[in-house]
Amino acid sequence: MTAPVQALSARGVVERRLRSDGGDRLGLVLQVALLLSLLISLGVLVVLIGDIVVRSLPVFAERPVDFLGSALSSRPARAGILQGILGSVLLMGFVAALALPLGIGAAVYLEEYARDTRAARLIRTNIRNLAGVPAIVYGLLGLAVFVSSLGLGRTLVAGGLTLAVLVLPVVVITTSEALRAVPATIREAAFGVGATRWETIRSHVLPYAAPGILTGTILSLARAFGETAPLLMVGAIAGTFTSTAIGDMLTGSYTALPTIVYSWSGQPQDEFRALTAAAIVVLMVVILLVNASAILLRNRYDRKW
Amino acid sequence: MKLPRTWRQPGSTLALVVGASLVLAACSSNPDRSGNAGGTGDVAGDIVISGSSTVEPISSIVLEDFVVANPGVDGSVDGPGTGDGFALFCTGETDISDASRAIKDEEAAICEENGVSYVELQVAIDGLSIITSPENADVSCLSFGDLYALLGPESQGFDAWSDADALAGELGDGYGQIHAPYPDADLTVTAPGEESGTFDSFVELVIAEIAEERGQDETTRPDYQTAADDNVIIENIAGAAGSLGWVGFAFADESSDSVRSLEVDGGDGCVAPTAETIASGEYPIARPLFIYVNADEAAARPELTAFVDYYLSDAGIAAVSEADYVALDADALAETRAAWAGR
Repeated sequence: MTAPVQALSARGVVERRLRSDGGDRLGLVLQVALLLSLLISLGVLVVLIGDIVVRSLPVFAERPVDFLGSALSSRPARAGILQGILGSVLLMGFVAALALPLGIGAAVYLEEYARDTRAARLIRTNIRNLAGVPAIVYGLLGLAVFVSSLGLGRTLVAGGLTLAVLVLPVVVITTSEALRAVPATIREAAFGVGATRWETIRSHVLPYAAPGILTGTILSLARAFGETAPLLMVGAIAGTFTSTAIGDMLTGSYTALPTIVYSWSGQPQDEFRALTAAAIVVLMVVILLVNASAILLRNRYDRKW
Repeated sequence: MKLPRTWRQPGSTLALVVGASLVLAACSSNPDRSGNAGGTGDVAGDIVISGSSTVEPISSIVLEDFVVANPGVDGSVDGPGTGDGFALFCTGETDISDASRAIKDEEAAICEENGVSYVELQVAIDGLSIITSPENADVSCLSFGDLYALLGPESQGFDAWSDADALAGELGDGYGQIHAPYPDADLTVTAPGEESGTFDSFVELVIAEIAEERGQDETTRPDYQTAADDNVIIENIAGAAGSLGWVGFAFADESSDSVRSLEVDGGDGCVAPTAETIASGEYPIARPLFIYVNADEAAARPELTAFVDYYLSDAGIAAVSEADYVALDADALAETRAAWAGR
């Protein structure tokens, strides 16, 4: 006797929900609040970007090529960001060449080879914690280890190593997540037809985890691209230097785009306001391109199983 | 289940990045270096300059012009601060140290320990401007006594200008005429922090003498907003009606539409900060700007000698005015040149 009554009342609830207009006040309030929070975050972003772009217009209108192709200068009319672009690209090269193979290798070992022991769990937890350590701490580490102990000096190599160590935990974590998302059945199928552990990883697990690994690692590159504090610690020049040759930058003075933004924002002349904005625009465009390439790669390799 | 065939492709992406940077390298290794500044063009080498961020724009302009005339020379100028600059200079890491104050005894001791001998050369004068908001029309001139009452170590906790009336009365007119009673307005102070050469100069030139006589520490009140970036100080001062602070003359002069520079009385009447009053010594809060040159390096390396020669030449020292600092008068410049010649 009770069963039909319950079914009836449940249908009544659904009907009331569907037909009522304005009955669910709390739901409406919540919806408006959610929409507002979206609008506020978007609004802040639009104002920030709009402000920067408008301020940078004089520079891009007057001397776009000159600005991108000139060396640093104390004279606003001649200052350019070529050295910053070169330095940032070189630093990214170091980070890509060091952090990606190391981080992906470490994650593959942790996820595919290591037994789930107390030690392995301890290491995983620590890597997660390392990802939250402030960048300036990595700068101090780079100063103590790479600049002083290893005797690399205040060079781009030391800066590249520092940034590589900075993003390493992020690479390990995102790669681990991607590997864990590959269904166990795929590994079992490979083992079932007689593949060794490495063959299974090489031709089954890694290809399926590739979109996730690529997205995560490229986003970590973008993070390294925007860092200033650790670079200042390990010797990126916040002033000016004259050489624009790559060879000199590897052995001598170097700088990076965010470092230029930091240094120009502190200059007295008003013209540097526009130059700072223009450098920020270039920095944002590069990071957008990096992120867009991450999305493209993900879509390209994305597949269902 | 079909296996993806394109797994090797990320490698080619990396190759593209490396290739692109090589192309960039090829494009950039021959920068356009035309024009003719000082020097003979037959010296080569690398000149490393660091130190005061105040002096950095001067050295930077001089270096740029020198490199244009001497394409074999490269160099860098950084501005972490006078103290950090001497730390690098006295371990032999830099050739020239920019300084907004003279070298301290303990810094000189480190130089001596490491066998670094140097020549001290004054290249310019910088005035400190006392700044307030343009809305603060009741105040036009402050004496050293006023500044001590408002900003000195005994002013801790003063939230309104008028809080300093009693202390100012106690000080009397011994340090320039007191302008108390002060307006009954909020007092919000923004100024450089202790790591800054500008802070040291303010304490040394304005606070130190009065603090010593009154048996106080030679420092400022601890309870104010510090900022390492001079533009932040300017913004904070412009944004609050009862603001008070100090920055280098160049920054205040560049921002004269958003902040107001006050006249200062160091005992001889109110003087406004201008290039003329600072150069003549009339304006009481002025400080010398120096470069310190590593003497042994200069003796061994012709490019460093040529660079300092150019720095002190008429063409080179013109950078001081271009960077908005106050040029040395003829006597002081002659003295600097003599110090360099007699090294």
